[in-house]
Amino acid sequence: MSTTVAEVSTRPPGRYVPLNGLPIDQKRGEHAMWCVIATEAMLFVCMFGSYYYLGTNKDRWADNLPPSLKYPFVLLAILLSSSVVLEWGKRQVERQRFRAGRLALWATVAIGLVFLLLQAFEYVEHWKTLAPYSNSYGSIFYVITTLHAAHVIVGMLLLAYVGVLPRYGATRETPHRPYSTVSLYWHFVDFVWIWIVLLLYVIPAFQGHAHGH
Amino acid sequence: MATALVEDRLTYLWETPKTLRGWFGTVDHKELGIRYLVTAFVFLLIGGVEALMVRIQLARPNMAFLSPEAYNQIFTMHGATMIFWYASPILSGFAVYLIPLMIGARDMAFPRLNAFTYWSYLFSGIFLYIAPLLGQAPHGGWFAYVPYTLTVYSPSVGMDIYALALIFLTISTTANAVNFIVTILRLRAPGMAISRMPLFAYSTLTISFVILFALPALTAACIFLELDRRWGTHFFGVSGGGDIFLWQQLFWFFGHPWVYVIFLPATGMISLIIPVFARRPIVGYAFVAISTMLTGLVGFGVWLHHMFTVGMSDMAMSFFSAGSMTISIFTTVQVFAWLATVWKGRPVATTSMYYALASVALLVVGGLSGIFTGVIPVDWQVHNTYYVVAHIHYVLIGANVFPVFAGFYYWLPKMTGRMMNEALGKLSFWVMFIGFNVGFFPMHILGLMGMPRRIYTYEAGLGFASTNMVVTIGSFVFGLGVLISVVNFFVSLRTGEVAGRNPWNSDGLEWETDSPPAPYATAHVPVVVTRHPLWDDFDEEADPGNDRVLDGGRLTQTTTWLEAEPEGIATIPEDSLAPLAMAVAMFVFFITFVFQMLWISLAALIGILLTGCYWMWPRMSKEVA
Repeated sequence: MSTTVAEVSTRPPGRYVPLNGLPIDQKRGEHAMWCVIATEAMLFVCMFGSYYYLGTNKDRWADNLPPSLKYPFVLLAILLSSSVVLEWGKRQVERQRFRAGRLALWATVAIGLVFLLLQAFEYVEHWKTLAPYSNSYGSIFYVITTLHAAHVIVGMLLLAYVGVLPRYGATRETPHRPYSTVSLYWHFVDFVWIWIVLLLYVIPAFQGHAHGH
Repeated sequence: MATALVEDRLTYLWETPKTLRGWFGTVDHKELGIRYLVTAFVFLLIGGVEALMVRIQLARPNMAFLSPEAYNQIFTMHGATMIFWYASPILSGFAVYLIPLMIGARDMAFPRLNAFTYWSYLFSGIFLYIAPLLGQAPHGGWFAYVPYTLTVYSPSVGMDIYALALIFLTISTTANAVNFIVTILRLRAPGMAISRMPLFAYSTLTISFVILFALPALTAACIFLELDRRWGTHFFGVSGGGDIFLWQQLFWFFGHPWVYVIFLPATGMISLIIPVFARRPIVGYAFVAISTMLTGLVGFGVWLHHMFTVGMSDMAMSFFSAGSMTISIFTTVQVFAWLATVWKGRPVATTSMYYALASVALLVVGGLSGIFTGVIPVDWQVHNTYYVVAHIHYVLIGANVFPVFAGFYYWLPKMTGRMMNEALGKLSFWVMFIGFNVGFFPMHILGLMGMPRRIYTYEAGLGFASTNMVVTIGSFVFGLGVLISVVNFFVSLRTGEVAGRNPWNSDGLEWETDSPPAPYATAHVPVVVTRHPLWDDFDEEADPGNDRVLDGGRLTQTTTWLEAEPEGIATIPEDSLAPLAMAVAMFVFFITFVFQMLWISLAALIGILLTGCYWMWPRMSKEVA
């Protein structure tokens, strides 16, 4: 263990002290959120993988009757705009403009609600030709989109919760940390929708077009 | 400030009151770690009894100890219990107890989440065991292949409970993994750079990432199964365009990484124990750390080797066969590091060292049979035979149960303050070691003779009878060995000699604390300057100016993830009943869901939300710096 003694002399212990006076840590929640996003992203990867795996043993898969492109792009625009609003709100909070921040938060929740309503319309229309129990394509299509809708709902609940959090005390100006942590989740939910539009709507439509259905 | 005063203050801040509320609301990682260990050990005993029932049934040809259906239920419960509710949670137990002590933190990064993780693990296990109490245990084996597990062939509620209990457990395990990742990367003691981290922390960190990326596949598979069984979807039913291999793909995409989840922390424990009793630092620390991480990574590229017989392209088979071989390189690096450590050191023959060395030997046997099964022609021959049963038990008992016992004999003095009895320990070891080999080695031969796994009996005259008898006797001897250690534990708890801080003259920071540790671990946050803090000349707790006491509340340090430079101070929440309430609400949700009382499920869901709101609501703690 002679090397260890050498290490001691090159790294004077005084360099590490003291701890008193360091700032209160504000980042653990955000780091945990990144982990949650990683595992949730993997859940969607598994879902998309299943979508393609189920499609491999079929002559014709989604391109047989591709889902209509009427709704997904509108839904995409709605979700993306909500992310912009939320990001703006986060910056307001960082600049101590809490009222504007809260306003942006509730606006995001409202936009999320519009998204869900519109998706409900899409479901009603789509259901006429395809249901979860029609075939395996219907099963996986509805499970992926419903799972995403569930994430939208969870995101809205989280945003609403941050929206009612009080400001409490000098050291923890609100609701800055929960605000940025939750907005990470909301951006992730948006990001998943981009993939859903691409994989479940656009590509099948292209293929259907190419195959001349 | 006098030291006694500091310690009084810290005790006031960190101690959980010994009341009923304190017991149910504690967030102390030491308390929760012990509960994890006890609960997982109870599951080991339950799973063990199930195994012995299976062995009685198979001892002689045409036995009628269990009916065919009961046999299917028992072996399924044995597998599910051992793989999901014993093997991983027992390692989590060690990690929950030890990781904060090892890295010099006063608790986990999310102590209430830690409590929730424990309670939800416990309740998911109870939920699973409702099924056998109803006489309707799952009966599809621990990997529950469709179509047998669809409602056509498995109409009982057991399979639903299996699927939902696994989803429940997944929530718990994922939360635990998040907690470990943030704890290990953020809360290490000042100076404990990533190159000085104990190897057990490396393996726990690795499997936490593996859990994040592997478990969603299981969740997806279980969601699909439950939807197919109850809601008429067509994921697995071929008539509706489903695919039975989808289950296998998803299950093994999760399942093989899971093998490393229940294996790597055990190797991490061996990597700490062997050097201590070989009286020298481990040989090739960096290589062991890197091969641990590579095992976790490459473990994602081998899952198809469970499915070589279902039919796939030669390209896929070659790739996954090669991937499986690659893993053995990383394991071999670790094995040689351990052997070299013993070779270059001056080994001390303690019970813990016996278990650790035996584990290396058994792991090599299991690894070699794994290489055989990784070769495709051999795999086709031995697939679904007792050869595979022998392989999985050599790997899982050799590389999980034996290291766990090594860990118990090594760390129990820290947890209880009493030394374990060495004579009884060695007796237990030899009985277990002999029983294990008598019980499981002949299974290789049975497999090569063609005895399929999972049959509830066999005809006389096939040549299986005498070997099966030997296997049964061996398994009972093994069980006896486990019991001797249980007796040893209770005897030593009362009469063992007092352990003191560092009975083994170990190197890790956890031995800097009292035995059992004070609720705040050490009065001064330790500073680490080498890989072996207690073996160097530097005093980790030296702090004449009381600059590292952190007694302005429940506080611990945060440091940078690479160099562990001090960065900030983390506030640690106080005891709370919210985690328990959350786990109970989830328990109610799952149990009512499985019995189709959906309105109560909805109420439970709202309960979960409200508990979450209460949990996260900001409140002032005892004192804030």
